[in-house]
Formats: sequence, C-alpha cells, structure tokens
Amino acid sequence: MNSPSAQFVTSRRIGVYDPIHQIGMWGENFKSNSNLNASASLIVEDVKLDSQSEDASHGTEGPSNQYDQEATKPTDKVQRRLAQNREAARKSRLRKKAYVQQLETSRLKLIQLEQELERARQQGLYIGGGLDAGHLGFSGTVNSGITTFEMEYGHWMEEQNRQICDLRNALNAHITDTELRMLVESGMNHYFELFRMKATATRADVFYMMSGMWKTSAERFFLWIGGVRPSKLLKVLGPQLEPMTEQQSSDVFNLEHSCQQAEDALSQGMERLQQTLADTVAAGQLSEGSCNRQMTNAMEKLEALMAFVEQADHIRQETLQQMSRILTIRQAARGLLAMGEYFQRLRALSSLWATRPREPA
Amino acid sequence: MQQAIPYKSWPLPLHTNTGHTQQSFTLLNDMTNQSLVSPKAVLKPTEDMLSMVSESAVIVFARRGCCMGHVVRRLLLGLGVNPALYEVDEKDEGAVIKELELIRNGKDGKVQFPAVFIGGSLFGGLDRVMATHISGDLIPILKDAGALWL
Repeated sequence: MNSPSAQFVTSRRIGVYDPIHQIGMWGENFKSNSNLNASASLIVEDVKLDSQSEDASHGTEGPSNQYDQEATKPTDKVQRRLAQNREAARKSRLRKKAYVQQLETSRLKLIQLEQELERARQQGLYIGGGLDAGHLGFSGTVNSGITTFEMEYGHWMEEQNRQICDLRNALNAHITDTELRMLVESGMNHYFELFRMKATATRADVFYMMSGMWKTSAERFFLWIGGVRPSKLLKVLGPQLEPMTEQQSSDVFNLEHSCQQAEDALSQGMERLQQTLADTVAAGQLSEGSCNRQMTNAMEKLEALMAFVEQADHIRQETLQQMSRILTIRQAARGLLAMGEYFQRLRALSSLWATRPREPA
Repeated sequence: MQQAIPYKSWPLPLHTNTGHTQQSFTLLNDMTNQSLVSPKAVLKPTEDMLSMVSESAVIVFARRGCCMGHVVRRLLLGLGVNPALYEVDEKDEGAVIKELELIRNGKDGKVQFPAVFIGGSLFGGLDRVMATHISGDLIPILKDAGALWL
C-alpha cells in the first residue's frame, strides 16, 4: 500500500523525496533574505494545504482500498483524486520554478555586491558601520547625490593618476615651459573640478562630506572640515619647491600664516556651532512638547554646517590659486607632482594597512 | 609708527534722501535687541546707521547667533582688528539689508550676511574677506582704513 507521501512523489516525477523537509531546508538557507523567506513559507503553507487535502481524500479506508484492488476501474473518486494530484503536481512545479528564479536573481545580486566590495576594497574605500545615510543600500535607503559623487570621484581619481604620470614624465623629459604650463593649468582645473563636485555632494549629505567618507583611512586621519588642512600641506610640501627666491620664500611663508589664520577662524566658528547645537539638543528636557521645537532649532543649526564645508573648500581653492601666483611654472609643476604623489602614497598606505597580516586573536 | 587715523575722516555718503533717513531712524528705534560688543565703538541704538558705518574703521553686520558672523569676527580679531558688531534679529533682516544696500557706496550686487564694511564702504561677505586675506591684500586695506597699525 502506497503511503500518501510516496504517491505525492510519484505524481511529481521529479525525484524530490521529502518535499516538506526539502522546503524547510530551503527556508533555513535563506532566512536572512526576507523576500525569499516569505515565499519559502508560502511554499511550505501551500504544500501543507495540499498534503492536508490529499490526506482528506485518503481519510477513509474505503476509497484507497478500492484504488489498490481495482487499479484499472475509474471511479469518480479516483478521477477526482487523480485530478487533484495533477493539480498539486502542477502547482508544485510552478512554485519550484518561481523559487529557482528567485534564487538565480539573488545569486546575481550577490555576485554584483561581491564585485563592488572588491573594487571598493582595492581603492581602499571605507565600507562598514557608521553609514547613517545608507548610501550603499544596506539599510534600504540610497542617497543618489552621494552615489553620483562616489562614481565621479572614481573617475576623478583615474584622471588624477594619469595627470601625475604626465607631470612626472614631463619634468623628467625637460619639456618647454609653454607645454608645462598646459599641464599645470590642467592640474589646477582638475582640483577646481573636485571642489565643484564636493559642493554638489555637500548639499546631498553634509555629514558624509564632513567625515571625508570617500577618502581612504590614512587620508581621513588628517581630515579637517571635509578635506586637507591647507596650511599643513604647505608646510609639508614647501621644502620640495626649493630652490625659491627670497621673495618667493617670504610670500610662501606669509601664505602659510594667512592660511593658518583663516583656518583658525573657521575652526572657532565650528566649535561655536557644536556648542550651540549641543545646547539646543540638551535644552528643555523637562518640559513636554519641547522636543519638536528643539529638533526644529537643531535642524536649523545643522543647515549652517554646509556653509562650513563650503568655506573650507574656498580656503583650499584660494590657497591653490595664490601658490600658482607665487611660483614659476616649473615650480608649480613640481608642487602639483609632489602633492599628487603625497596623496597617492597616503592611499597606498591605507591599502597596506588594511591588508596587513594580523596576528590570530 | 603710523598715527591713528581719527574716525570721522571720511565724508558721509551723499545718496540717502532725508525721507529715507527718517525711516531708518524709526527702524533703529524699534530695534530693541541690538547688542554691540566692541568697546571701541559704543553705538547707541538711536544712531543713524550711516554714521555707524562711517564712524567705524571696520563694522560687521551679522545675524544674531550666526556662526559665519562669528568666523568673520574671529578672523579680524586674530589680525589685531577690533571690529564693531551689529547683530541683526531675524525680523529686522530685510530692513537692515535694504539700509545697507543704500549705504553701499558703489559696490554692486546683493548684500548678504555677514556684511563687512571697511573704511565706511561695503567690503563684502565672508568669501571676499577670506580670499583677500589669503592673497595677502587684506592687511594693507585694513591699515589704510585705520583699523590696524603696526
């Protein structure tokens, strides 16, 4: 006498031997994916229902005995059961098809994510906790302004590396000042392009920009309001511009000083903003209904943050401009090369650090 | 050492008519929340904005509690300048801007906060102050206006 489950299997003709167990397994494998989980549990439910209906048809001894003993005699009940079996089999096949299709798409998505992750890791980008904008889509929200910025920054970086190479070759090859001028202007414009990109992205997510999220970890160590601190950079790269005339040295020194003063003023404004924001958030904790008003006030304070990032980039840009006025073309080319190489090395350092062999815990 | 230039050495601007001056006088009377921080230029609320501007070597008009206004002030203080400060309440913003645009003294473009006047004429906003300082031109301008001497 065939058991109900064996009959179920026979009618399906797919060699799946324990459908409930199998689907239970499928459900377990994809517990983390809520979509698949939902469909898996649907499948389990459907199967349960079908089994129940089949069990109902096998409920009494009579009909099954009749089926066993008179296999060739088509009764109504037999017909109905056969029809139900066919229906169940068809439904099962359809469900399986849908499930497999879902598996395929999820697999593709997984491969895609792994590729992105690998690409990002190679560039030394920071991926992980603290992404409250959720721009990578893990938390379900996507900030298209930031996604665009990251993509554009990738291209910007490729172009930057090309320009560094060109500068290096040009300086080694002793090309004319006129040709060098073109390279220097391209280099300057390339940085101005970055400031434009940053301005747009700041409006999309100021916290992302403030934290320098698009930069590598070593670059972020030196972060000051969404970028590098110009006066520090001048001090670091200054020696590489030698030899300079007396006037030039004096001008560069004055520029460092002015830059420092501008940065300090901005930093002090930033501290004040932090203070007033903290006071706003902490205020009125004992009175009901003050929370909304507090939040509105706090939001207004945060708007001011965008102006800080803007002004910091403004200082960076003006400093770059002033340096180009002080230096000769050849010196400017050397300066751009030095700056480009400095950041390349910082990025390389980030990668090295991220992939360093670690001692087992 | 340069001699300090006395405050009233610039001619008053000529293009405000009496009608408007009276209006600004009334507005100033209504602004009860003014606070002027600089001890150098203790300006009474009833004083005409024109003379306020012309009597200060440097004066900064900023929204009350505005952080960018704070940045401008700190930059100037860091250079050794003691700017007069006029803090504007939100409700008075429009009126003050209109006033300043009339006092402008030749510079084009909209007046925005924070607005810096040097030597009696509108110099510009934070952008211009920063850019001018980095190019090394701000200190000479301040010296010329008598805001700095060394």
